[in-house]
Amino acid sequence: MNQEALAAWFESGIVHNWMVELYWMFPLMETFHFVGLCLLFGSLLVVDGRVLGIGKFINMNEAMKFIPLAIGAFAINLVSGYTFLTADPNAYLGNIGFQWKIGLIAVAGINALWFWFGEHKELCQLADGADAPFRAKVIALLSVILWVIIIVLGRLIPYTDF
Amino acid sequence: MDQLLLAYENGAVGLFIRESIWGYPIVLASHAVGMATVLGVAWMLCLRVLGFAKGISITSLDKLFIVGWAGFLLNLISGIVLFAGSASVYFYQWTFQLKLGAIILGGILLKFVMNEVRANGSKQKLLAALCAFCWLVGVVTGRLMAYVTA
Repeated sequence: MNQEALAAWFESGIVHNWMVELYWMFPLMETFHFVGLCLLFGSLLVVDGRVLGIGKFINMNEAMKFIPLAIGAFAINLVSGYTFLTADPNAYLGNIGFQWKIGLIAVAGINALWFWFGEHKELCQLADGADAPFRAKVIALLSVILWVIIIVLGRLIPYTDF
Repeated sequence: MDQLLLAYENGAVGLFIRESIWGYPIVLASHAVGMATVLGVAWMLCLRVLGFAKGISITSLDKLFIVGWAGFLLNLISGIVLFAGSASVYFYQWTFQLKLGAIILGGILLKFVMNEVRANGSKQKLLAALCAFCWLVGVVTGRLMAYVTA
């Protein structure tokens, strides 16, 4: 599917009409997007902070409860992000900042899957105060760095429309 | 006051933020990262006090405050720089005034929450809920500053 067809598809939905016709929809969705990103980043800070050793005595098993919260927050941002995209798809699809943002979200997603399927089990047995394995630390650091870049890119979208 | 605001707005910082091509976007992006960090840490702590993930001891979670403070410092600096963009306008916007008030109150309440937790007091949850709400007001009014210019 080329960009024009994709843009037409985004514009064909009812959400597009809401976003264009109701002046308060865009700020409302932006607010959700910001709240969602704080919740997402905050819950990641708990999990990644524990693995990295900043909060060494955070119980690892309990810290994992923040993962569903992160997923819920991501869902808020997926939905609110979709509404921006439907409002003016051509402004986003061809935008280099947006393209990199989506690409890095995919990388962060793969990183999260690696964490869940590769490290989760072993980490849950980690005693309070004990160091996490090096591999897990790499994943956690990568997660924090990726999400910082994703947030930065998101904020830069209005300025990367070359 | 107006003179002071205009002097700041027309000074070097104001000029930089309005005229440098990448200056504004980069400072704005930093402000978003700082926000995610401060709000992230504050909200997670409030959630824990409210009863989420009870197995985590609150004192082990407050180690994240170092990260939270780093975010706060980043936002204090980026906020002061962004403010120079149009200081004389922002200062009188009710959204900005409310944002500033909510952040100050949110910060003070966070301290109260920790004191109450250490004293094992009965108002922990009430304070945590109020604190989380203040930070929510801070984000919402910050976003609305771009739309409600009165």
